[in-house]
Amino acid sequence: MAETLLRAEGLGKTFSSAGRLFGKSDPGVRAVDDVSFEIARGETLAVVGESGCGKSTLGRLLLRLIEPTSGTVHLDGVNVTELSRRDMRAVRANAQIIFQDPYGSLSPRRRVGEIVGEPFEVFEPSLNRTQRRDKVATLLEQVGLSSAIMDKFPRQFSGGQRQRIGIARAIALNPSFIVADEPVSALDVSVQAQIVNLLQDLQEERGFSYFFVAHDLAVVRHFADRVMVMYLGRVVEIGPKRAIYDTPHHPYTQALLSAAPQPDPHRKTQRIVLKGDVPSPRRIPPGCHFHTRCPLAQDICRVERPPLRSIGDAHQAACHFAVPNPIPLSS
Amino acid sequence: MSLAVPTVPVVRSPNFLQTLFTGNLAVTAAGVVIMIMVLVAIFAPFLAPMDPLTQSVFKINQYPSMEHWLGTDQFGRDVLSRLIFGSRNSLIVGLVSPVIAAVIGTILGVVAGYYGGIVDRLLTRLNDAMLSFPELLLAIMIASVLGGGFWNVVGVIAVAFIPGFARVARASTLSVVQEPYVEAAVAVGLSSPRIIIRHVLPNIAAPIMVLLTLWVASAIRLEASLSFLGLGTQPPAASWGNIIRDALSNIFGSPWPIIGAGLLITVVVLSFNVMGDALRDALDPETQS
Amino acid sequence: MSPLLKIDDLAVDFIAKGRITRVVEGVSFTVNAGEAVGLVGESGSGKSLTSLAVLRLIPEPPGLIARGRIEFEGVDLLQLPRDVMPEIRGSKISMIFQEPMSSLNPVMTIGDQVGEAIKLHRRMSRSDRLARVVELLQMVGIPDAEARMGAYPHQFSGGMRQRVMIAMALACEPRLLIADEPTTALDVTIQAQVLDVMNKVRQDTGTAVLLISHDLSVIAEVCDRVVVMYAGRVVETGPVATIFDAPAHPYTDGLLRSIVRPGHEERRLYQIPGSVPPAGSIKAGCPFQPRCPRKIDRCAVDMPPMFDHGAGHGAACWVTAPVRTTEMEVQ
Repeated sequence: MAETLLRAEGLGKTFSSAGRLFGKSDPGVRAVDDVSFEIARGETLAVVGESGCGKSTLGRLLLRLIEPTSGTVHLDGVNVTELSRRDMRAVRANAQIIFQDPYGSLSPRRRVGEIVGEPFEVFEPSLNRTQRRDKVATLLEQVGLSSAIMDKFPRQFSGGQRQRIGIARAIALNPSFIVADEPVSALDVSVQAQIVNLLQDLQEERGFSYFFVAHDLAVVRHFADRVMVMYLGRVVEIGPKRAIYDTPHHPYTQALLSAAPQPDPHRKTQRIVLKGDVPSPRRIPPGCHFHTRCPLAQDICRVERPPLRSIGDAHQAACHFAVPNPIPLSS
Repeated sequence: MSLAVPTVPVVRSPNFLQTLFTGNLAVTAAGVVIMIMVLVAIFAPFLAPMDPLTQSVFKINQYPSMEHWLGTDQFGRDVLSRLIFGSRNSLIVGLVSPVIAAVIGTILGVVAGYYGGIVDRLLTRLNDAMLSFPELLLAIMIASVLGGGFWNVVGVIAVAFIPGFARVARASTLSVVQEPYVEAAVAVGLSSPRIIIRHVLPNIAAPIMVLLTLWVASAIRLEASLSFLGLGTQPPAASWGNIIRDALSNIFGSPWPIIGAGLLITVVVLSFNVMGDALRDALDPETQS
Repeated sequence: MSPLLKIDDLAVDFIAKGRITRVVEGVSFTVNAGEAVGLVGESGSGKSLTSLAVLRLIPEPPGLIARGRIEFEGVDLLQLPRDVMPEIRGSKISMIFQEPMSSLNPVMTIGDQVGEAIKLHRRMSRSDRLARVVELLQMVGIPDAEARMGAYPHQFSGGMRQRVMIAMALACEPRLLIADEPTTALDVTIQAQVLDVMNKVRQDTGTAVLLISHDLSVIAEVCDRVVVMYAGRVVETGPVATIFDAPAHPYTDGLLRSIVRPGHEERRLYQIPGSVPPAGSIKAGCPFQPRCPRKIDRCAVDMPPMFDHGAGHGAACWVTAPVRTTEMEVQ
């Protein structure tokens, strides 16, 4: 096993609507609930789940773009959760993020050169303007753009090109860890493959690790080394990609995989269609969060939270009744 | 999927001034009016045919003539010259006080919006309290305590306008802070003051600028109102407001000062309002083709 | 058998700032009774505008239907007086949109809104109408339909609201249901539910479906035939299996190769170079030609017509055109 780069332990985040003068006190929304995992150097861990499962929040907790309410994050052996704000800023050279929205994530009134050069201003202030522009030019070419675009504004580019600009900014300081928050889901289908390939090429060149947040299971299957499945703030299953896709154990993972439509008109396998909707994060069910929709649910599931149990090589699932075969279809 | 027109990425950044003036006669006219008035104010001593303060008992309340194009007032002063010199006080107050208010209000609003918490709640409550007073009433209250005089008027109007700017700055900041590019700036390691200067201020500048233009018009009106009430520019110095006040006692005998000053106020205020609206449209990224 | 819907040589312009942009050009295709046709394309492909044109919902100005015929049950909808269209909308042709929340009135109950759709087009007693509402809500899989008729939209989740929209759309047994990205805003497991409802409804009622989507997987799950649009034009059309197994247009081919399909094992994804062109920016020749790996000189000059590849399969490409037809075209 390669060296561990990042270790999250017992991470949690409760959003409370603070600052109200009147009205009932609010228990808040538990977006991330006691999540622990590790990422090795050079590895890609993908997080999948539906909206409200806490995957994007989790990515931001790792970078302290949102402050966790509990738990710790160690990056390169340093506990970043207890750093002061100032010390945390120094860590940011090493831990970056690529955003989902290629339109919103670039300041509309700044030029491409200024956007990509900003990290150097913070971390290498001794560089003069020419040196900085040279570095930006190199970066732009590495992400497949022309260095001649430096003096243009983001609005002059397409979604895919903007996403490349965002990637150039993220890799500027050669980080060892990158959170990629749905980096292709806002792009045109014919452009997504370009960005996926670029992210992969850069990883091969530079050896950084990805925490890859996605809802597209097909892209994850192509991109990830390991996969973590989340449901309502908790990890329900984690393991090597092959184990998750070939022998999913948690009934939610099984349903999620079978629900995803396939670009194959000949597929005639029947889907597991889950009943009902994801409960509101404000009214999370007790016990196993999934029990309200789970076809296997028993009494114990309504009371007791199932711990992550090992079921194979680095493969864990949080289910009292985890079985390797897809659950029987209910009519 | 909405019915929106498919967005066409801009290939060349549009000329801002072109966008502002394209195809709108009213905006062009407003621009010309504002420019002329500023020039008149600057070159008042050269343009005014007479000294605005020279009185003459022999020329009281005269009708327009070749010598006095707009007649004379109750002290025999040349109305045209008073209007020309009055434009200085009216415009300086109209331009300076909103700028002061914009600077202070923006700082307060951005700090409240960016840092939030107790600072925000205190500033917002204070703001709300001030906003619940009509500006004119607030200005009259402060002015009657401090007394009239040019700089007092500037200060009074600035104070009256601060809450409005603070509110717009705070609201804009709150929405800009939600933008992913601000999160990106945090992720890159920028400090908060730098984020505010680099990423927040440029992106809230547009609504502030629009407000500024609209409130130049209000400030000119407010100065006129205060001067009319005797709380603004003090005689014998002229401003459009006190010209009207002075002439009021003899409105039927000699209506020229009132007609002249009233027309000027209307035209200039209208021009700034038109300009503000045009600016809002031109700065709105949605309407930039 | 004459088709239910026949779009012939449709062209749509947009006029902005005195500039006319042709955003849909020469679009022709048919939908037969009871058939599900997928209209697939990326941003700027004109797929949504084409569907809006059928109901004459394109805002004029800035839009303008410049040319073409849209025959529904043998009648050219574009020739009908404007005030006749509301009678057709919702009764013979109905439409559902991507965003189910903004399409529902927040201050009316679900039952009233579905009932209103019936009231507009059918004469029915109140009790019959209520019974029909319950029947519709049950058909789209809303549990406990009778009790939930009195609920308001905000009490429903996104998936449930989309079902209500489907129920409303089906209230008057339309011959054609136009669904514009109906599941794009939904989570995977909820998307599966809604797709199942659409498939079931089509089997039960025989309503033809025109499904607009950028997602090839969704198209593969639901449709019998596919119409592929690119930059305002139809580039390929054919039975779903043919399109997915043996695409004849390089764009369709590239798109299918760039997504992760079952059995995909390559490290890199196939990528189409470049970006989707802005609407109306391609003036001459084939719109895909600037990105096409197989282009020949002629592609930049002449727009290829739709070549017949047999068995209802057509592609607008000079390079892949069957030899005989090419010769005929040249003469």
